[in-house]
Amino acid sequence: TAQEARSLLRCRRAGISAPVVYFVDYVTNSIYLEDIVDSITVQDHINAIQQSGNDSSSLLILAEKMGELLARMHDEDLIHGDLTTSNILMRPPIEKLDLVLIDFGLSFISGLPEDKGVDLYVLEKAFLSTHPDTEVMFKTLLKTYAATSKKSGPVMKKLDEVRLRGRKRSMVG
Amino acid sequence: MDFTHRLELFPGCAVTLLLFERLRNAAALRQKAMEGSIEGALINPAMIVDPFQILVAANKAVHLRKIGKMKTRTLYAEIIFSLSPNNNISDAFKKFGISDTDTAVLIVLVADGEKTLNLEDIVSQVEGQQVSLDKLPQLTDTAKIKKMYKVTPQEEKIGTLLDSIVCRMSTKDVL
Repeated sequence: TAQEARSLLRCRRAGISAPVVYFVDYVTNSIYLEDIVDSITVQDHINAIQQSGNDSSSLLILAEKMGELLARMHDEDLIHGDLTTSNILMRPPIEKLDLVLIDFGLSFISGLPEDKGVDLYVLEKAFLSTHPDTEVMFKTLLKTYAATSKKSGPVMKKLDEVRLRGRKRSMVG
Repeated sequence: MDFTHRLELFPGCAVTLLLFERLRNAAALRQKAMEGSIEGALINPAMIVDPFQILVAANKAVHLRKIGKMKTRTLYAEIIFSLSPNNNISDAFKKFGISDTDTAVLIVLVADGEKTLNLEDIVSQVEGQQVSLDKLPQLTDTAKIKKMYKVTPQEEKIGTLLDSIVCRMSTKDVL
């Protein structure tokens, strides 16, 4: 819980959209957070777009935004630890693509490209298994990530390595 | 004219805020507060951006009192301490409590069902004019607050000043 609270504050200081911490109760180990009303998860959003057969080019812009957000987070050496499309919310109005990261329960601080690579790998697996036909979307995400993050070179390399090795080996950390 | 709010997490507790302008006896009040003869927290309104900020501080103070983990000696001192972004008690008092030259004061009272509040008693001790809480924004010194809480420019983009402050207040003891 303490780590989660710390990560949330770190995000805020860096200008990364995350819920505001209202109160931390160490006795019961609970954190009271801002309630982001009328938001939907990126997961629901992607599903909705795909189901309605709508133009998926808007999804590419969403991917760019996600890449940008993650790049900024990793540049702060903040590892989310549980990146999935259901852990990223979209604040209304949806068209604004105002993304909010949530659920930092497994997060930690690390400057290692390995940890960042794994973070992205977890998202990639979650992405492709939950949302079919989104390879292009994820590629766009990575492209924007690489363009936004100053330290992306080594991270991308590690991501490739992790893909080859499989997740178990690199989760040793 | 006064503003009373129940704490969600502690339903028996009601927090009342009173705002006074044209204060004439700041020094005397501060003295009384230090002696403990005033049943309330005397706060410098310039450092308060929204009543919610007080509620969060009060909530934390009440919680800590309940589990016996207050850092200060009284509930009211604890509220002032909770407002501060750092863990230095005397610094908190200097910055958030009233000083002898203040011309306005925000008084916070907490009624937890055991003791009944005597508003008139408090009001009679203040030599100033009681005004509505709506006037609070006029007394707020945003620049000073930003400096005190060290709010970054990126932060202001993703939320309000209140958001940044509340975040720092609630996570202060974790960092």
